[in-house]
Amino acid sequence: MKAMIGLEIHVQMTEAGSKLFCDCKANYRGMEPNSNICPVCIGLPGALPVVNKRSVELALAASLAFNCHVPDYIVFTRKHYFYPDLPKNYQISMYERAGGVPICRGGKVRYLDIHSWEWKECRLRRINIEEDPGRTIYGEGGILRSSEAYVDYNRSGVPLLEIITEPDLKSAREARQLVEYVLLVLEYLGATNPRLEGAFRVDANVSVEGGERVEVKNIGSTLDVEKAINFEIMRQSAIISSGGKVERETRHWDAERGSTRPLRQKEQEEDYLYFPDPDLPAIALRDMLPKAKAIASSSDPAALFEKAISLGVQRELAWSMVTARPSLMLYLEAVERGADPQLAARIIAVDYKGELREREKDPHDPANWPSADTIVELSRLMKEGAYTYDAIKGIVLPKLAENPAADLKLLLPQRAENLEQVIEEVLKREERAVKDYLSGKAQALNYLVGAVIRAAGKRALDPRAIREAIERRLAKK
Amino acid sequence: MSREAWRVAEEIRAGADPSRHVEEVLERIERWEGAVKAFISLDLPEALRERAERLERKIRKGERVGKLAGLLVSVKDNICTSWLPTTAGSRMLEGYVSPYNATAVERVLQEDAIIVGKTNLDEFAMGSTTELSAFWPTRNPWDLERVPGGSSGGSAASLAYGGADLSLGSDTGGSARLPAAYTATVGLKPTYGLVSRYGLIPYGNSLEQISPMARSVRDVALLLEVIGGWDPKDATALRVERPRLDPSPAEPRALRLCLVKEMVEGAEEPIEKLFWNTIHKLSSEGAQLEELSIPLLSKALPAYYTIAFAEASSNLARYAGIFYPTKGSSGSWEKYVGEARARGFGREVKRRILMGVYALSEGFRDEFYVAATKVRRAIRDEVLKVVKRCVIAAQASPILPPKIGERLDDPLKLYYMDMYTVIANLAGVPALVQPLGFSQGLPIGIQWMAGPLEESKLISLGLLVEELTGIKGAMAE
Ligand SMILES: [Zn+2]
Repeated sequence: MKAMIGLEIHVQMTEAGSKLFCDCKANYRGMEPNSNICPVCIGLPGALPVVNKRSVELALAASLAFNCHVPDYIVFTRKHYFYPDLPKNYQISMYERAGGVPICRGGKVRYLDIHSWEWKECRLRRINIEEDPGRTIYGEGGILRSSEAYVDYNRSGVPLLEIITEPDLKSAREARQLVEYVLLVLEYLGATNPRLEGAFRVDANVSVEGGERVEVKNIGSTLDVEKAINFEIMRQSAIISSGGKVERETRHWDAERGSTRPLRQKEQEEDYLYFPDPDLPAIALRDMLPKAKAIASSSDPAALFEKAISLGVQRELAWSMVTARPSLMLYLEAVERGADPQLAARIIAVDYKGELREREKDPHDPANWPSADTIVELSRLMKEGAYTYDAIKGIVLPKLAENPAADLKLLLPQRAENLEQVIEEVLKREERAVKDYLSGKAQALNYLVGAVIRAAGKRALDPRAIREAIERRLAKK
Repeated sequence: MSREAWRVAEEIRAGADPSRHVEEVLERIERWEGAVKAFISLDLPEALRERAERLERKIRKGERVGKLAGLLVSVKDNICTSWLPTTAGSRMLEGYVSPYNATAVERVLQEDAIIVGKTNLDEFAMGSTTELSAFWPTRNPWDLERVPGGSSGGSAASLAYGGADLSLGSDTGGSARLPAAYTATVGLKPTYGLVSRYGLIPYGNSLEQISPMARSVRDVALLLEVIGGWDPKDATALRVERPRLDPSPAEPRALRLCLVKEMVEGAEEPIEKLFWNTIHKLSSEGAQLEELSIPLLSKALPAYYTIAFAEASSNLARYAGIFYPTKGSSGSWEKYVGEARARGFGREVKRRILMGVYALSEGFRDEFYVAATKVRRAIRDEVLKVVKRCVIAAQASPILPPKIGERLDDPLKLYYMDMYTVIANLAGVPALVQPLGFSQGLPIGIQWMAGPLEESKLISLGLLVEELTGIKGAMAE
């Protein structure tokens, strides 16, 4: 059945440095509960919010990246509801119908569907900047049975972007691709690290032909976006094909069970008593535009993807680099400094990345990648024919993945011409093994290879090349 | 000890013993406080003495000594201090000690003032008589049967009996000026944004300012010079330097006074009489008079109260029994919050929260809150037009200080007391109230309003009027 899907994506600006209205940290991971708080973010009497300019710049850059209509100024509003993890019992947000002015009104995201390699479009309705509440942690038995609840305000006041799309998405897969792409853009802008626990949450509005719109809340991963929406489309389709009616409701995604379930109906529509926050005068965006434009234009993953392709890189490899930002940046820098575009792409996007994966090292951490100079040098050595790609791949890359800062000279296998001497000496010394080999004992060759490696000392060697050299040498005899 | 405070500070800076002055003030407190009850908390006499001794050592060592050297300052109890409780006159905060000092408090301390204690107020500054304090009513030192005005009644009373040299009050709709009029003291409501609100427990954020109070115009100017000027912790603070106020009286012939019908008429007879006497005296000295009417001002009071209540209902949402002393007892969150709020808030606060919620609720917001903000803008535009060409001369209060209990039963009669003072808050302009004289032993004040950041005009006019009336530094005996 035909489906219409719209999303609300809440993304923490984990990389904004500080919280939205105070100097506490935007990234609270690994901190003791209630250690990342101050009078402002726990709303103590008399404390006042002052907007962290970096958050607004990043949000503005996001609005520009998503082709939004950007207003001249933004206005924050208060949204009231009583909840233990909301210390002021109101959340500072941007509600348009009560005097709020969001940072984006009407935009569109061009995102890549990597199954069809097509660029698709999804319109945005708006983007709000708002503050995250704290976190309620329940004792044993969870929200339903525990008699204790603990509140950690480390998250309270972390800047959030609330990105609301039009219902332009037609499948769960498209929805997932869109979310992944939006997160990628925000990561490139330096606004968020989407891999941090709880860095984003998605609510999906799903309807199928002939039914009302159902809102699915609490989706915490991109994989679950696809799963939850697929589940919902199937559930709604089944109701309609059996002659039932899909009512308008809000459901909760249960990631463990892989299903959605209805939320308790509220007895009456909640009234959030919105009004413009009198502590926060309108913020003019004009002065921030140049910086935001610079951020948005220099960090567009689509443009960087196209650039890699224009260098002759296969789109799969190019995309693989785009999805791990440090690898793409390394690639572009290496090519600019003279590395061969094809060889560099193969090293970075295929084999080195594979080595990282094998070692469970994070490809998103720049510290796990070698320097551009290393890539340039490897490319040069291969181009000059000093080493085969296989030699580099088999010997250098695993060691480099172990220690990306290692000195390349110590990792490189001994070049053939220098080896000849060593081999000559070893063969002279190891008469008996040579005899064995010549009389047809295959293990003797392994022994000789080992002896050459030992004789060569610490230097890195390609055993296959040694084996071949010994074979060549003894064949002459 | 009826010397002006600025003179006392100068004497101390020149070598007079600050301890002697502390003893003088302590004697006044000893004599009056039991009857007046101006303070909610007083610092210990030993602590005050110790501060004076510390200052004395500083002076002897030749270190830099501040502008308020050795002056005793009382602070309204809705302004946060980290070593004395800050209750806002409410049971909700009984025993609450803020972890930080308000910016104004910090600045006063930096200038070597000694903070003597925290003064009584109507709960959360909601009232015009100081009878609505959750603890006790403060009495007017000039007539102990009468109120000192409110909500900064404790501050005004502490000045009127000599329990402090200067006081930090706050003014949302006349809360510093009405008490000044009732106690023969001086209160100045600064231009909105001139004084940081950081650390002022909010009632109506868009209207209020921490306001200097004293027994003379020059003393008020001195205190404003210390607390005024930009503060990065308050987004609504104006980016202006600390004000410098010339302590010379205005030249009457250069004066242009506007008499706005709606701000002059309607006061009790003795008030009107003294008002016109003063105006005629100024006129005969050469001041030009202009009479005009701003009919829109008839809507000032409802617009003011609608906005103030709406903002208050939001500001007070945070008091839910988690962070603050008054708690609930039920296990259910909703009940718990309800209990804490039922116990912690007084009747008038509850009334104002309910009316504020009503003014912001869906379906009524446009009719009340939004309409009030429109009236406010129109009033501000009218007032700004007038103060461009003249200083507005206005009444401070329509009535003489009422007897304790007299006004309590009818909230409308209570709200009506602010009819002349709310206009400066709606318009965001500075306004000064100073004493003109007495009628049957009861003080009568006059109000002056100037354009934004024209505090110096008010000061020089005030100094001129002090010369005319001879009333300066009056203290009840
Ligand atoms: Zn904070």
